[in-house]
Amino acid sequence: MPILTPRIVRLLSTVWLLGAVASFPLPGEAANIVALKGADVDVYDEALDGFKSVTSRAQVSEYDMEGDLQRGKRFLARLKSGPKPDLILAIGIWALQVVVEEIRDIPVVFAMVLNPSTVIGQEARNITGASMNVPIEQQIALLKKASPQARRIGVIYDPSKTGFLIKQAERIAPDQGVRLLPKAIASPKDSFAALDAMQGEIDALWILPDVTVLAPESVQYMLLFSFRNRIPLLGLSENQARMGALFGLSFGSGRDIGIQAGEIANEILSGRHAEEIPFTTARRLKLTVNLKTAGKLGLQIPKEILDRADVVIR
Amino acid sequence: MNSRLRAAAGLLLILWVGWFAGPADAGDLKDTIKNLYGSQGIRVEPSPFFPVETRFQASSLQGLDQLNSQLTSAIVVPSFNSSVTGFTFDIERGVPVRTTESLGTLLTERATTLGARKLDVTFTYTRVKFTKLQGKDLDDLELVFRRNDANEGCDPSSPLLLARCDIIKANLKVDLTEDIFALIATYGLTAEWDVGFVVPVTHIRLIAKAHAAIFDQFGNPGGTKLGDIPIHRFGPNSTQPDASGGGDETGLGDIVLRTKYNFLRHYDDLIPDMAFLVELKLPTGDEERLLGTGGTNLTGLLVASRTYARWFTPHVNLGYEIDTKDTRQNAIRYALGFDARLLPELTLAAGIIGRAKPDGSGTGDHIVDLSLGVKWNPIKSLILRTNVQIPLDKNSGLRADFIPTVGIEYIF
Repeated sequence: MPILTPRIVRLLSTVWLLGAVASFPLPGEAANIVALKGADVDVYDEALDGFKSVTSRAQVSEYDMEGDLQRGKRFLARLKSGPKPDLILAIGIWALQVVVEEIRDIPVVFAMVLNPSTVIGQEARNITGASMNVPIEQQIALLKKASPQARRIGVIYDPSKTGFLIKQAERIAPDQGVRLLPKAIASPKDSFAALDAMQGEIDALWILPDVTVLAPESVQYMLLFSFRNRIPLLGLSENQARMGALFGLSFGSGRDIGIQAGEIANEILSGRHAEEIPFTTARRLKLTVNLKTAGKLGLQIPKEILDRADVVIR
Repeated sequence: MNSRLRAAAGLLLILWVGWFAGPADAGDLKDTIKNLYGSQGIRVEPSPFFPVETRFQASSLQGLDQLNSQLTSAIVVPSFNSSVTGFTFDIERGVPVRTTESLGTLLTERATTLGARKLDVTFTYTRVKFTKLQGKDLDDLELVFRRNDANEGCDPSSPLLLARCDIIKANLKVDLTEDIFALIATYGLTAEWDVGFVVPVTHIRLIAKAHAAIFDQFGNPGGTKLGDIPIHRFGPNSTQPDASGGGDETGLGDIVLRTKYNFLRHYDDLIPDMAFLVELKLPTGDEERLLGTGGTNLTGLLVASRTYARWFTPHVNLGYEIDTKDTRQNAIRYALGFDARLLPELTLAAGIIGRAKPDGSGTGDHIVDLSLGVKWNPIKSLILRTNVQIPLDKNSGLRADFIPTVGIEYIF
């Protein structure tokens, strides 16, 4: 007599179904979400506001790590010993770091994280979220619009930090009619030689969100390189545009990122698995254009770009 | 957790205000000096030569009749708490950066604000022992009393008429101390906009002792005499030459409401951060008990500051204070100073603080103080603060040798 009789199979299926249903909040039942903030910064609060605005039916309780990883770990240890929440929102890179180490069996959505794949390993199947990264296509497209004759975009990067971004960019660049000229560096001091080697070889320069590249002296040297060679420099922020980069392109606001994370959370609470949902990049962007730099580089910035710019430095 | 702490802090604030806001027995500490010898002045012993009741009135109280405004001018309200102990966000690297620029100022203002949805609650204790009035020692003041009919002139041909110019000098010792417990709360409505209040609870002690003596117009003791017999003298039927008065009062002082808007921040490398501050002082302190001025004051202050090398922040404040009760007390307020992070958890603050009354009454029309202090951040959101206010010009107004303040501050 087979062990799995149709009756037993039906019984097991029913138990599994009930278990699965029980593991998700029922319609009308408020989901229990724990929001872990890496530190008390305004932009994280904005992200949390955005998140709450689209998960209004959920009960969101907040915890601030105050920049202390050990404090975050202790909190998660307490969390694991009690009733489990339906979802954890990790706001910021520090919150994500502790959650990656400590949480395996609760869905996690992150927000306000740059280069999340450097923190999240391949084995983490319970984590997805909304990164702050700016879509690469939009960055390359912006450089092309400002300088249509640009064919070669130079970029320096640390393979251990932003190698994945270079791979993505190398796939995308040909579609936009440009070629990427990446120079790998291992430490900030390598950036000077890497830039010198690009002299006369590139038509535009692109700064990546890479901590090895972002040493103040390296950024200064890139600005100098841009002016000396009269090529546009795409920076990461309004601050870099004010320093002299032609453009600064960053995420639009913490609230927008929070809304994106909230939408992902809603999908998970509706039954989708975190591993089925890819990380998102910033949907809304903040563009700063430095027209003083454009003048020095002899570039005419198209009206289309100026119209969409959030900040124009004249 | 944070919201619970904030709620608890809010409850404490309400209790604090409620505890001291109740009605108190009306006293009259304000007129202690004026009424030291009675409200009718000094009455001398009736004389067989001059049987008419003779009274002497104080010709000048040397500013002691303006104690309320003098007390207020002498003590600077602690600054809006703009302690920077948290994090800012590095967009390029995508990480929070612990801000260790400074723990902020103590008595002067800088342009930066607390940050959105942050609550800063501070308790301070200030002790003031006043020692000088217009440069004169408070324990060696002299009040001069003149006869009611002195303005009719002195006729040297008749001792009785000459005696009109006799004066009574009272050596006055004033012990005036003030203990101020202040609850200061600041809340960041947005990243650029703070609102807050200061609720002071004041204990004031004013004891005045005087000894009066009669002199003639040339300063000879005993006054004008007819033969060897003085025309004016103290006796069993006169006001007694030794008098004392005063007492203690404790109660709610003048509550200050304020708001600061940081309208310019990180504009470029040259232009400093700028803010505008509006301060409203309400007449919640009992004027008669020397706990308040009895008037509403409105102050507008422009604040400029800039941080250099992430540790040194000079600042300038300039504004005008309107006293709706007595326009002579309207004052230009200014301050120039800096705060400097000496260690990540220790900040030194120093500044010159001035208050000039263009149409002042002559007492304390321009006072200038030096403020020196430190803030220490032993653990995350807790700051201990101490400072001393040192009058630079003791010849103007009611002054203490120094005014120490200690406080504890917590950011929720």
